[in-house]
Amino acid sequence: MEYSRRQLNNIKANLFEQGYLDDQFHQIEELQDDASPNFLQEVVTLFFRDTTRLIDTTEQALKKSPQDFRRLDSIMHQFKGSSSSIGALRVKNECSIFRDHCNQGNIEGCLKSFQKVKKELAILRQKLEAYFKLLNQSESVAVKKADR
Amino acid sequence: MVSLRKTVGMGGGSSDKLGSVEGGTVDQFPAGLRVLVVDDDRACLKVLQQMLRKCLYHVTICSQAMDALSLLRERKARFDVVISDVHMPDMDGFKLLELVGLEMDLPVIMMSGDGRTSAVMKGIKHGACDYLIKPVRMEELKNIWQHVVRKNWNDSKDQEYSGSLEETDRQKRGNDDVEHASSANEVTESNWRSQKKKELCRDEEEDGELDNDEPSASKKPRVVWSVELHQQFVSAVNQLGIDQAVPKRILELMNVPGLTRENVASHLQKFRLYLKRMHHGDPHNSYCGPPNSYCGPPSSYCSPIENNHTSKLNSNPPGRLDYQSLAAASGQIQIQIPSQNLATALQAELLGRPPSCNNSSMVRSALEHPNLLQNSMPGGGPKFIPIEHGHHSGDPFNQPSLVKCSSNMSKPLFTQGNINLDSIVSSGYSDCWSSNNFGTDCPASSLSALNNVVPNSNNVIIAQQQQVQNPCVIIPSQSAATYPVPINIPASMNQNSFGRGNCGSTIIDYNTLLSSRTSNNASALCVGQMSDGNFKSSGLLNIGYGSMSGPNIDNNSSSSSSWKICNSGMNINSNHFGSIMGSDMSRGDPEKMLQHGRRNLGFVGGKGGGTCIPTRFAIDDDIDPLAPIDNMNDHQRNMMMMMMGDNSNSIPNNIKQEMDQLELLKSEDPSRGGNPVGNAPPHFPSNDYLSVISN
Repeated sequence: MEYSRRQLNNIKANLFEQGYLDDQFHQIEELQDDASPNFLQEVVTLFFRDTTRLIDTTEQALKKSPQDFRRLDSIMHQFKGSSSSIGALRVKNECSIFRDHCNQGNIEGCLKSFQKVKKELAILRQKLEAYFKLLNQSESVAVKKADR
Repeated sequence: MVSLRKTVGMGGGSSDKLGSVEGGTVDQFPAGLRVLVVDDDRACLKVLQQMLRKCLYHVTICSQAMDALSLLRERKARFDVVISDVHMPDMDGFKLLELVGLEMDLPVIMMSGDGRTSAVMKGIKHGACDYLIKPVRMEELKNIWQHVVRKNWNDSKDQEYSGSLEETDRQKRGNDDVEHASSANEVTESNWRSQKKKELCRDEEEDGELDNDEPSASKKPRVVWSVELHQQFVSAVNQLGIDQAVPKRILELMNVPGLTRENVASHLQKFRLYLKRMHHGDPHNSYCGPPNSYCGPPSSYCSPIENNHTSKLNSNPPGRLDYQSLAAASGQIQIQIPSQNLATALQAELLGRPPSCNNSSMVRSALEHPNLLQNSMPGGGPKFIPIEHGHHSGDPFNQPSLVKCSSNMSKPLFTQGNINLDSIVSSGYSDCWSSNNFGTDCPASSLSALNNVVPNSNNVIIAQQQQVQNPCVIIPSQSAATYPVPINIPASMNQNSFGRGNCGSTIIDYNTLLSSRTSNNASALCVGQMSDGNFKSSGLLNIGYGSMSGPNIDNNSSSSSSWKICNSGMNINSNHFGSIMGSDMSRGDPEKMLQHGRRNLGFVGGKGGGTCIPTRFAIDDDIDPLAPIDNMNDHQRNMMMMMMGDNSNSIPNNIKQEMDQLELLKSEDPSRGGNPVGNAPPHFPSNDYLSVISN
C-alpha cells in the first residue's frame, strides 16, 4: 500500500510536471469527499465521454467541404472548455491552437492540430486510467486491511 | 454572531461547521441558496455541482437550456440564481439569460471559456449579473449569493417608493434599516432569503428582530413571474399596446392581487428589452404578436424632415392634432413624418387605440409627464421647449422630436389616451417640440384646458410619469428613422430659463436630474431640463394641448399628460419628475422619486454623487442616447434635438462631453441586471461630467 501510494503520488506528480494536468485537477480532487467518494473519476469519465463525442463531431465537420470554420471553432470552444474544467492542460492547449487555425481559415493547420488534440487526449486517457486503476487498487487494499 | 465566512463550508472534503447554531438558520447564510446550473458540458456541470454543494448551496443541474427553462417555469419559486453557460447547442445562453430575467426575474450568471472583454461585455449587456470564466473556481462560486441579495435589495428599494407601499413600509422607512430588503414577507419563503437579508441587515447580529415579522421598508417578496403571470402581463400589454403599456395600466388589467406597479414596471422594462432584442434579430419577431405591440422599425413613420413641412402636417387629420398646425405655424417644423402615419398614430392615441406603430414610446415618454407641464405652468403658460429654430433650419435634423425612448426605456404612461405618440414622435413630431414660434402659438386656452385637466389627472399623471423612465430621454427607438441631426444640446442643464429658443437644458442632465432635484432640473431622466418657469410654449405642448384640449383631454388625461410630458420633458420639474417608475408621485418627494426612479431605472448609482443614468437609457442597443451625438443617426439626433429644444446649431462640446460621460456611466452601470449598454469604452471623467451637469 505504501508503495502504491507513493507510486500514485509519483504518477500524479508526473502528470503535472509534464503539463498533462493543471491545477484545476487539484481542485477537482479536493472536491471529492465522503459524500462523493468517486467524484474525481466520475468527472474524468464524463470528460472522456463528452470529448469522444466531440472528436466525432469534429471529424464530421472537418470532412465537409467547404469547411465550416465557425462550426469547427464552436466545437473546439466546447472542447476547450471541457478540458479546462478538469485541468487537461495539454488537450486544452491543442484546442486553442486548433482554434487559431480556424480563425485563419487554415484547414491544414486545423487538421494537424486536430491530430494533436486526439493524441493528447489519448495519452491523457491512458495515464489517468492507469492512475485510477492504481488508486482503486490501493483503496481496495486499504479497505481490505481495514476489514481485518 | 456568526460571520458570513464561517457559514459556508468550503474546502475539499471538509465539512465546515455552520458556525454556531445559536441563530439557527441565520448562521448558515448564505447556505441554502438555490442554484440552477445550465451547461451542456457534463463534466463541467458535475464539477460545478460539487463546488456549489461545497458552498452549501442547493444545486440543480441541467444540460439543456430548454429543460432549464421548463424547470424554472415549473418551480419558479424554487431558484434563487441561475448559472448558465454561454455556448449551448439548443439555445444561446444569452437568450436564456433574457428569458429568465424576463419571466422569472432571477439573477443570471453567465459562464464561458471565452474571457475576452467583448464577450464579458456582451454578457453584461444582456443583463447578466456576473460573468464567470471557465474553469470556474470555487471562490467565485462562493460569492454568487451577492447577486441574489443585491437584486432583492434593489427590488425592495423599488418597492419602497411604490405607490402601493404598505403601511409597514412607511413605518420602516423611518427606521434605520430602511432599504433593507425585508424578509418579512418572505418568512414563509425560503428561509435562506430571510436569513441572509436579516443577517446582512443586522450586521450579522442575531437579535430578536430576526424573527420579527415587521416588514422593512422595502419588503418585497420577489415576484416570480410564472408563465401564467407573464401571459397575463403580455395580454395586458397587448391590450394596451406595447407603446401604451404603462405599468399602472398593466397592473390594472392584470388584476393580480399582491402585484405591485413596481413589479410590473421592472418586468415591463425587461420585456421591452427582450422585445428590442428580438426586434434586433427579426423585425417581425415580436414577442407577443399583436401588431400593435412593439414590432417593426418605425422607420415607416419617419421620414426626413424638412423645414417647414407644414403642409405635411396639415395633411393630418384636421383637428386631430392641433399641434400640427402649431408646428406648422412655428415655421420650424423639425420633423417630417409621413403625415399618414402621424395622423394614424395620433388618432390611435387620441382614440385610445393601441398604437399602430411602435414609435410611440418616445412620444409617449414625452407625454408622460403631465406634471411637468402642469408644474411648469405657474404663469399659466406651459413650459414649452422651444426648439431652437436656428439649428433646425435646413437641417434634416428635423427628426422626430421626441426622443423615443427605447422600448425598454419608456414606460408609456398613457393609460387612457393611448396616444400613440410613438408614431408621432418618430414621425418627426418634433414639430410640436420645436420652434420658438411654436411656443408663441401655443394657445393659452389649450394650455389652460390642459391645466385644468392636469390637476385631475395629477395622480394619473404622476403615476404615469413615474412610469416613464426617460420621458425626455432622447433615445430614438431603434426603429427610428435616421436623420441627420446636428443636435444642439444646450450644455447647461440647470436652471436656464427656457427662453425662447433656448432650451436651456441638456439632454443628459442626469446628474442634475437625479441629484439636484432643483426645480429647474428634470429630476427624472428627462432629457431636457427646462427651467421650470420658462417654458415657452413649445410645439409639443401646444400640440398636446391642441390635440388634447379637445374632448380627449378629459378623457385621456394621460394623453394630455403625455403631451405635457413632452414639454415637461423639456422642463422637468423635479417635483414631478422625481419618480421614474411606479413611485408614488403624490408623495411629492422629489428626492425619493429621484431615488426611486433611479432605482427603477437601474441607474448607475453613486457615481459622481448621483450622476445616474437610467439603465433604460442605456439599454437601447441601437440608440444610445448617451452616445456622442455625432454617433447617433439622424433620427436620433433629431429626437434629441427636439427634446432638448436647444437653440444652437451645433452640439456644444460640453454636451458631447456629457454624452460621452453618460455613455460611460451607462457602460458602468452594473445595476438592473446589467443592461447598460456599454457601447463606448469608458472614458468618463467624472469630474467633468459632474461639472458639466451641474452647470
